[in-house]
Amino acid sequence: MLMIKLTSVMVEDQTKALAFYTDVLGFEKMMDFPVGEYRWITVAAPGHPDVHLALEPNVHGIEFQRAMFANSIPIAAFESDDLDADYKRLGALGVAFTKPPTDAGPIKLAVLADTVGNLIQLYQPTR
Amino acid sequence: MLIAPATFDRLVRARELLTTTDEHVAAIARTVRLSQFHMIRAFTALFGATPHELRTRARLDRAKQLLHAGTAVTDVCMEVGFSSLGSFSALFTRWEGASPRTFQRPAPENHGCLGMLAHLPATAILEKRAAR
Repeated sequence: MLMIKLTSVMVEDQTKALAFYTDVLGFEKMMDFPVGEYRWITVAAPGHPDVHLALEPNVHGIEFQRAMFANSIPIAAFESDDLDADYKRLGALGVAFTKPPTDAGPIKLAVLADTVGNLIQLYQPTR
Repeated sequence: MLIAPATFDRLVRARELLTTTDEHVAAIARTVRLSQFHMIRAFTALFGATPHELRTRARLDRAKQLLHAGTAVTDVCMEVGFSSLGSFSALFTRWEGASPRTFQRPAPENHGCLGMLAHLPATAILEKRAAR
């Protein structure tokens, strides 16, 4: 059996990304150590330490990342248990949203900018 | 802050202009038809840096590429749009923590984080955990 326990997003600046993903989004730092001229950094949701998100340097993916962003395509999606509350909380912290909470069939979704080159979709199942 | 689709497109265009032209921020705001105040505020929320900071970051990233490639420091300075070697060196040192000359060394082979992790000894992560 294969399992998905690790995925990643490319980021423009790993230090800035770690601050945003922990201090603003509320994830917890799980790993952070130097690898060459960059760092291996992962975060996880509180209470879910078995699923890590790596914050990878975007050195080989800048064009892809820019194109996804310019076309308003989120690079990842995180589930929320209360999207309206998270929208309000993150908005108060100065986060830029490109889509407010919006009903989309079986989910409600919103889209935010992570300040390190990506749009991120937040969703909450409604059924 | 909620950024409307039309504003989003204008801000993406502003970022492109900042990194590909020498136009002043005020001129770019006019080009993308946003007030300068609104552009700076929304731009900073979207990209995590003011337009000026983003332009500086882009110039220094380009400078780092050229330095890695072995280009002479004075040529790098001119190439990335600085007119004075002194101000280029001072800014580079402040942002990068090392002078351009110190920074200039052969580029290490880079496989990306996932790739680089694969080259670590198998015990590296366990040792890191144990050290915490």
